[in-house]
Amino acid sequence: MGDAGRRGAADPPAELLRALAALAEPPGAAQARIGDVLGLPGTPDPAEYTNLFAFQLYPYASVYCGAEGMLGGEARDRVAGFWRALGRIPPPEPDHLSALLALYAALADQEAEEPDRARALLRRQSRKALLWEHLASWLFPYLDALERIASPFYRRWAALLREALAVAAGALGPPDGMPLHLRAAPGLPDPRAHGAAAFLHGLLAPVRSGIILVRADLARAAREMGLGLRIGERRFVLESLLAQDPGWTLAWLAREAGSWVVRHRAHEAATGPVAGFWAGRAEAASRLLGELASCAPAV
Amino acid sequence: MREGGGRLARTELAKLSERVSAARREVEARGETFYPGPSRVHLASYPPKERWDDWVELDSRAWPERVEKRYMLVPTTCFNCESACGLLAYVDRETLAVRKFEGNPEHPGSRGRNCAKGPATLNQVTDPDRILYPLRRAGKRGEGKWVRVSWDVALDDIAARIRRAILEERPNEVMYHVGRPGEDGFTERVLAAWGVDGHNTHTNVCSSGGRTGYQLWMGLDRPSPDHAGARVILLVSSHLEAGHYFNPHAQRILEAKQRGARLIVVDTRLSNTATHADYWIAPHPGSEAAVLLAIAGHLIRTRRYDREFVRRWWNWQEYLAREHPGGPQTFEAFEQVLAQLYAAYTFEFAAAESGVDAAVLREIAEVVAGAGTRLATHTWRSASAGNLGGWQVPRALFLLNALLGAVATEGGTYPNAWNKFVPRPIYMPPHPPRWNELTWPPEYPLATNEMSFLLPHLLKDGRGRLEVYFTRVYNPVWTNPDGFSWIEVLTDEHLVGLHVALTPTWNETAFFADYVLPMGHASERHDLHSYEQYDGQWIAFRQPVLRVARERLGEQVADTRRVNPGEVWEENEFWIELSWRVDPEGRLGIRKYFESQRRPGEKLSVDEYYAYIFEHSVPGLPERAAAEGLTPLEYMRRYGAYELRRGIGPLHEEAVPPEELEDVRVDARGRVYTRSPAPSSPNIVPTGSPEPDAEGRRPVGVEVDGRVLRGFPTPSGRLEFYSATLAEWGWPEHALPGYIRSHVHRGALGPDQMVLISTFRLPVQVHTRSANAKWLDEIAHTNPLWIHPDDARRLGVGTGDLVRVETEIGYFVVRAWVTEGIRPGVLACSHHMGRWKVGEVGQRQMMATVALDRSEGRWAMRQRSGAGPYTSADPDTLRIWWTDVGVHQNLTFPVHPDPVSGQHCWHQAVRVRRAAPGDRYGDIAVDTQQAHSVYRAWLALTRPADRYSPDGTRRPYWLMRPLRPTKDAYRLPGRRTEPVGAPGG
Repeated sequence: MGDAGRRGAADPPAELLRALAALAEPPGAAQARIGDVLGLPGTPDPAEYTNLFAFQLYPYASVYCGAEGMLGGEARDRVAGFWRALGRIPPPEPDHLSALLALYAALADQEAEEPDRARALLRRQSRKALLWEHLASWLFPYLDALERIASPFYRRWAALLREALAVAAGALGPPDGMPLHLRAAPGLPDPRAHGAAAFLHGLLAPVRSGIILVRADLARAAREMGLGLRIGERRFVLESLLAQDPGWTLAWLAREAGSWVVRHRAHEAATGPVAGFWAGRAEAASRLLGELASCAPAV
Repeated sequence: MREGGGRLARTELAKLSERVSAARREVEARGETFYPGPSRVHLASYPPKERWDDWVELDSRAWPERVEKRYMLVPTTCFNCESACGLLAYVDRETLAVRKFEGNPEHPGSRGRNCAKGPATLNQVTDPDRILYPLRRAGKRGEGKWVRVSWDVALDDIAARIRRAILEERPNEVMYHVGRPGEDGFTERVLAAWGVDGHNTHTNVCSSGGRTGYQLWMGLDRPSPDHAGARVILLVSSHLEAGHYFNPHAQRILEAKQRGARLIVVDTRLSNTATHADYWIAPHPGSEAAVLLAIAGHLIRTRRYDREFVRRWWNWQEYLAREHPGGPQTFEAFEQVLAQLYAAYTFEFAAAESGVDAAVLREIAEVVAGAGTRLATHTWRSASAGNLGGWQVPRALFLLNALLGAVATEGGTYPNAWNKFVPRPIYMPPHPPRWNELTWPPEYPLATNEMSFLLPHLLKDGRGRLEVYFTRVYNPVWTNPDGFSWIEVLTDEHLVGLHVALTPTWNETAFFADYVLPMGHASERHDLHSYEQYDGQWIAFRQPVLRVARERLGEQVADTRRVNPGEVWEENEFWIELSWRVDPEGRLGIRKYFESQRRPGEKLSVDEYYAYIFEHSVPGLPERAAAEGLTPLEYMRRYGAYELRRGIGPLHEEAVPPEELEDVRVDARGRVYTRSPAPSSPNIVPTGSPEPDAEGRRPVGVEVDGRVLRGFPTPSGRLEFYSATLAEWGWPEHALPGYIRSHVHRGALGPDQMVLISTFRLPVQVHTRSANAKWLDEIAHTNPLWIHPDDARRLGVGTGDLVRVETEIGYFVVRAWVTEGIRPGVLACSHHMGRWKVGEVGQRQMMATVALDRSEGRWAMRQRSGAGPYTSADPDTLRIWWTDVGVHQNLTFPVHPDPVSGQHCWHQAVRVRRAAPGDRYGDIAVDTQQAHSVYRAWLALTRPADRYSPDGTRRPYWLMRPLRPTKDAYRLPGRRTEPVGAPGG
């Protein structure tokens, strides 16, 4: 891997993406140095890193693109298949943000070093497919969510990464079609037809509901509604809120989904139909949640 | 969608990226890693080098508890095959034992990757059957009785015999015979210091056919294909799985394939390499050159060769002047002749010879033609080592590169010396003054290497005797053809006075030694090496890792035996010590080459030896080390490798600087000679050494289109399409790249004979070197006979049936494996298997126990038992489930020395039939008197120097030769040297 200054072909430069990828790893001296070089405010705090990436926002494509909203599964297999299609052995966590960004940087390097124009074009096509299928398909909402709860260091990191992805999307052009992850994802089920369990499951699966609900969001919900916050995993917390006051909770969720619609729409200039997909999912969720709230029993 | 980010954002991002790049350069210049690791960011998982002193991993054996293990990571290089891939030894900080070996990401050749043999070094280190102490035979040679002796006893005995041989002017009775290479030139310099022309290698059973073809073209005896940059890769070998530089080359071949390069594999057998090919052809053995010449003919006929390259770099003028003196001496005239020369090599001709369809050959030729200057080609053993005239295979293969101008280009094939760096050592002893005819007999003046496999026959013929014979990590009884003849001479104390086997582990040859001295494995010895694995130059350092680990902890370790298992020694210290004992007072002029320069009168230490090299002879290394606050030696001990240059490019095109052009003379064909002395170079990589002109000017370059360029180290300075050397030394009919019908050509076979291919490796083993590596042995431990279903049907045999394979001198009994992976009419049996021992001493994982029966020259071997579980310090030896360890077929092969290259031509014309009643698996029968007759029949094919030498010398001086003696020693006894083909003539 060489420096972008000598090659200078990729847009954004591969080295920048590699540096941003490194910052999605647990912080140490190397991350502090990279943060300093990038001019990020302060230094990365290990405790905050753990809170952000290990408790709130797991940096894996499968969580945001998979119908289960969980690590692994078919969504991760799809990403692993992409590595294999490139002739590479998938790493142990092929859908981790760092791995995907590093892969993008490696493809950009290969493209820049390829003397044969036709082959360089093929590399570019691979890079474009990676961007749209496995990066832009989930990272814009992910970074939005992260920015809302992060310290200045990681907020600025998220802003830089979003900007870099937007530049990449502009440089590579629009996707040839809707990413497979998104095409394959079912919508949010109506609890009146499919039951509460499936509904809650879908609500917590971003690609189905169009919203990313992190622990901090649920804590905020409890605070804003004056409800008790029971400690547990997100589904447990959500169930306890719904049990305490279903109407208020559903209404809060509907407003939350509405605010995600606005966030998604803000990315339409950069990601076009992808942002449209996410906004559509959030709108549908907002609508359904609103309906459910209106007919929820009063407490 | 908007143009993402906007102009301002893009500019800002670019600036930020440049800042990151600058910071990265700065950090990496200090020898640190910028990105953390093991890191997804590198798409690889190597411990970052700044943490090599204290690397933490979870102990897998403690799972599910998370127990941390702390390691020191110490680099070394693998000692199994020749590639010298980088290894990282994981030294347990608590116990100071090596726990595992993984790849060294700092090694430029292997780039952190290894084949199965690298990590299996751990098996060899912990092998319960390995030799840990010096042993001396107690009974008769070969009786299997041993007593442990001290190193002092062994050294004094050996040194006294060597000293006596030198003092009594019998220096040719001292011989060192090497198998697995160690350090380039180290032992050659030891022998030179002793004044002994006693260097012997395994090369003539290995690669000298390949080397001959390459050397005659370019003055350098190995190719260095730039696989990674190639558009077309053409391999006459099973290179991806088992060939030379397998791991470094395989990873680059696959890179090229991922980029879309086409891979063509010529291999009679369906090797793993062939399964990766875009085009696999399986020609009849020995017809490979015909196939290659048909492709060359196609390039010539369709005029799709690089005319400018051919005009500028081929020695076509010399060819016309010598062979067509009456015709026009123009390039256009040469092109006409060239077309005529190869007109007969049609696809139809090649198809008739090879059995491969002409249309397929045409299609392949078109692919080659499309490669342009990005054609990477390689052959090494394979057809070159199998056939009479096999040396014409590399000559025909390189013809394709030479036609396309794919020589020293990106994606082309380089001369090896341009991608190799051998640093000048602290001492360079003079050339030995005598010629040793036991290794360089007069019948083989053009042999690229020592006629090693003829040693028993030459000794039997009374051409000399040996007072002290070292076999060093070499096993000729097992590896060479006609092993029973080896046993006959090794057990004859009149012919071999003292046999010293230097080996880490038991082998069939060591059983017939007087002393068996334990040498180190990859992590227990020093060596420095450089191999041509891509277009760059690097050095890598093999080192005793426990010594380095202890030194990192502050200990001083002057003698490697202190840290190695048992009394295992490293060779450098051994040779220094032995040399001191040969010449303790320094009166023989030997000791001075093994003395410290820093402390005169004291022994040279290995630290001083390598410190000198790294400080004085490796450009850029001192500066690189200083940037990290290290001495050059500390740097190499820490990282194990250093890359001097990358992207060497076409050195032949480099202009010779004016300061090297003093009193210049240019001969009629453009060879340029100068009075300027050659500038001292820190790189002493061996090359051809064309002779000076009649007035003593040295050849410095070649005139091309009015410019003096560096050219090639051949007599003409150009690529020698026409070899005046071959023409002058008795082989004018083979002076051009051509096709010699093999001794196993279909026309030479009897109606009931088939060809047996015996040279192929198994991907996880390497000769006897890798044996007793339990992981490897479990994967591969036997060698069935590959036989095509058509042949099996004809013979009435099925898979698992016993068959008897009859050679010219005997037979072996083996099991058949019926497979379509071999060409009909051809058999194949890997030479990697069939290890044996007579008594209890030896390896128990891969050696059968056998009974040997000898009656005059008739030998018989019968397996008494195969491998089986046994109790040892390693509980895994109780889990050995295999019994079959293969059949030692090489015993039944007579010697087949090629009269030009000296290469043993391995392919055998055999008869195969169902086993006879009473035959048992592994049976061997051999008549060594018949073997000697076959030797004499092949000897009769030669054109000896004493009859064919054009100038009264034993050998063309310009040809490479290990341990070259003085020029006087080249003179044939009773003959004056006469100039031949004098420059300007």
